[in-house]
Amino acid sequence: MTDEVIARIEPLVRSVFDEYGGPVTAALNAHDVEQWDSLGHVQFIVLVEQEFGIRFGMGEIAELKNIGELAALIQRKI
Amino acid sequence: MGVEFAWKEPPPEDWEARFVALKAALAGGIAGATEMELRRLGSYRLTPTSEVALGRVAQRVWPVRDGLQQLRPFSLGLAGNRTLAHLGAALPAAGLGRGLLMRGVEFPYDSIAAVVSGAMSLESGDLDAVLLQLDDSALFTSLPLLDDEAEGRAVRQALDHLETTVDGLRRRFRAPVLVATVVSALPIAIGSIDGATAGSRVRLIERLNAEVREHARLGRWLLWDLAALAAEVGFSRWRDASRFYTAKMPFAPALAPVAADSLSRMVAAMTGKSGRALILDLDDTLWGGVIGDDGVEGLRLGQGDPEGEAFQAFQSVVLELHRRGVVLAVCSKNTDEVARRAFRTHPEMLLREDHIAVFQANWEDKVANIRAIAQCLRLGEENLVFVDDNPAERARVRQEMPLIKVPEMGCDPALYPELLLGSGFFEHLVLGRDDLLRSQSYRPMTQAAIESRNFEDYDGFLAGLEMRMDIRPFDDIGRNRITQLINKSNQFNLTTRRYNEVEVAAIAADPSALAWQARLSDRFGDHGMIAVVIVRCGDVEWEIDSWLQSCRVLKRGVEQALMTELFAVAGEVGVERIVGRFIPTSRNGLVRRFYDDFGFTPVATEHGGTVRYEAATAKWRPMRTFVAVSHAGS
Repeated sequence: MTDEVIARIEPLVRSVFDEYGGPVTAALNAHDVEQWDSLGHVQFIVLVEQEFGIRFGMGEIAELKNIGELAALIQRKI
Repeated sequence: MGVEFAWKEPPPEDWEARFVALKAALAGGIAGATEMELRRLGSYRLTPTSEVALGRVAQRVWPVRDGLQQLRPFSLGLAGNRTLAHLGAALPAAGLGRGLLMRGVEFPYDSIAAVVSGAMSLESGDLDAVLLQLDDSALFTSLPLLDDEAEGRAVRQALDHLETTVDGLRRRFRAPVLVATVVSALPIAIGSIDGATAGSRVRLIERLNAEVREHARLGRWLLWDLAALAAEVGFSRWRDASRFYTAKMPFAPALAPVAADSLSRMVAAMTGKSGRALILDLDDTLWGGVIGDDGVEGLRLGQGDPEGEAFQAFQSVVLELHRRGVVLAVCSKNTDEVARRAFRTHPEMLLREDHIAVFQANWEDKVANIRAIAQCLRLGEENLVFVDDNPAERARVRQEMPLIKVPEMGCDPALYPELLLGSGFFEHLVLGRDDLLRSQSYRPMTQAAIESRNFEDYDGFLAGLEMRMDIRPFDDIGRNRITQLINKSNQFNLTTRRYNEVEVAAIAADPSALAWQARLSDRFGDHGMIAVVIVRCGDVEWEIDSWLQSCRVLKRGVEQALMTELFAVAGEVGVERIVGRFIPTSRNGLVRRFYDDFGFTPVATEHGGTVRYEAATAKWRPMRTFVAVSHAGS
C-alpha cells in the first residue's frame, strides 16, 4: 500500500527536484536532495496535496522524517 | 490547473514525451526550434506537476536569454513584506505561452527600505519592472472603531508610504513599478457590516485600494489589481493561513500559477505582446445557427431565446473590446453576400459592418484568410487573436500559425465571454485617447488602401488625403503612447532600442536630447501618434538614437516630412552632420535602406551588421511631401 503511494509521489519529487537522479524510496529525506530548500518543500507538499486531494495541517508536516512517513500520513488521510 | 485555465488548449497526449525531448535538446543549447517548442509546451493547460517541471527548465534558459528570438526576457523585481518565492517560482513557466521568459527577483525578506536606500543590493542585474505587493499588516495598525478622522489619516499615511516606496524603487532601478492592490492574508470581516464600520480593516483596505487604482488612472504607477484577482478566484481559496504561518506566503501557493499568469498578462501589455486584433468566425460564434442554411431569420440571436441572448452578450463583449481599440476582423466560411446580410439586416446584431476592418467571408482556407487579414492590418501573428467554435479550425490555425492566440471556446455560448476575457489576451495599460481612436482608424486605412489602387497617380492620391502632421516634444500626456510605440514597433524601427516610461521621462527632461512625437490625421480620420524620433545632440554632430513609426501609415511621406524637419532644425543651430544607425533584426527589413534612400552615406559596418550612416546638413535638400506639418514648441 505504502509502495503504491510512493509510486504516485515519485513523479512529484522528480518534477520539483529535477536535478535529483537517485531512487525515490521510503528512506529518502530532504538531506539527500540538494534542491530540497524551503521553497521546494512548499512546492512539493502542495503538489502532494493536489495529487491526493488532501490537506495537511501545520503540525503534521513538521514531524515527518522521510518519504515513508509522508506516505503513511497520506494513507491515513485518503 | 482547473477552472482558471479553461481557455487554454488541453495538452496533447505526447506532452510528456515532448517535454523530455526538449530537456535533452536544451542540454545542447537553445536553438531556434527548441525555443519555439518551449513556448508551445507552455501554452497548454498543464497539471500542477507539469507546470512546476516546465518552470524548472525555463528557469535554466535565463542565463542564455541574449540568444532568444521567440521569447522576450523580462526580469521582474518582487518587493513584498512577505515571502513571494512561490510567485517568483511560477513566473518562468507562466510567461512562455505569451512569448515571455519571465524571471522573478525576490527582494530579501522584509527589506524593501534597505534595498531602496542602497544599503542592500540585489544580485540580479537590471530589472525591467518592479512589483510592489504589500499586505495590510505593512500598511495599517489597529485603529479605534467609529473614528472617521483617524480612518482618513490612516489611509492617507498608507498611501504616503506607498508613494515614497514607489519613488524610491523607481529611482533605484530606473524601471516602472506595478503596485498591487491590498488583499489581507487572513480573514478579517466579522460580518456584512464591516464595509460600513469606520476603522475596520475591511474599510481601510477598500479605501486604500480605491486610491491605488486612482493613482494608476493618473499614470503615477502601473496597477496590478490583486484584490480583483483574489475576488475572481474566491477569497476562501485565495487565503491559506497554514502557509501564511509556516512559510510567510501571503496567498495560497497552489494559486501561484494563477497569480503568475495574471502578471504575465501585465507584462505582455507592457511589452506589446497583447492582442490588437480579434478575428471572428461567424456561424455558432457570433450567432447560433448556420446563416447559409438557416437564413437571417433562422439565426438564434437576441432577446427571447436563451442561446440568442448568450450570443448577443458575447457580441457586446466584442464591441467593448472594439471600443478599447481592438481591431475586429471576420474570417468565415460563407458566401460574402450571405454573411454580410446578417450584419446589414438582422435587428438584434450588435456588431455592424462598420465595426469590421477586414471582412473575409469565402470558401478558402482560414489560414490563408488570416494571413491576408494580418497583412492588411499590418499586424504580426503574435498580436492576433482568433475565435472560432470549431475545434478543427482552431487546431489547423494553431498548427500553421503557432504565434497566433487561439482560446478554447467550449461548446456553450454562455461561457464564451468568460473564456475570451479569461485568456487575458486583451490586457492593456491605462487607456489613452489614441487607443480609443485606433480601432476606428483602421477603417479609413483599409478603405484608403483599396482606393489607392484606383489612383494611377500616387502623388494625386497622397495630395487627396489632405494629411496633417503635428510634431511636438515628448510630454506627460503623450508618454504612455510614446512608451507603447517604442516597445511595440518592430518593423519600422531603425535601432529597436526599448525604453520604459521612466527612461522616456528622463529623455524628455534631457536638454541634450531632441525627442519628438508625431501625430497624423487625414480626411478619413485621426491616426493618433504614429512616429517617435529621439536624437542625441552634440555641438557639431547629432545622432539619431531611435526612429520608429507605426506601420499603419506607410508610404505616406511621414518619414520624409520628419527628416526634412529634423534637418531644418539642425541647420538652424549650426550642426554639421547627422548620424544614424541601422541595427538589423529579424523584423526590421522594411527599413534596411531607410538611410540610403535619404542619401546618407554608409561610413562603417559595426558588430552584428549594424551600419553607421552620415549626412552633411549643408548638402540636404528639403523633400516634397503631401503632409502639412505643424511643429509645436521647437
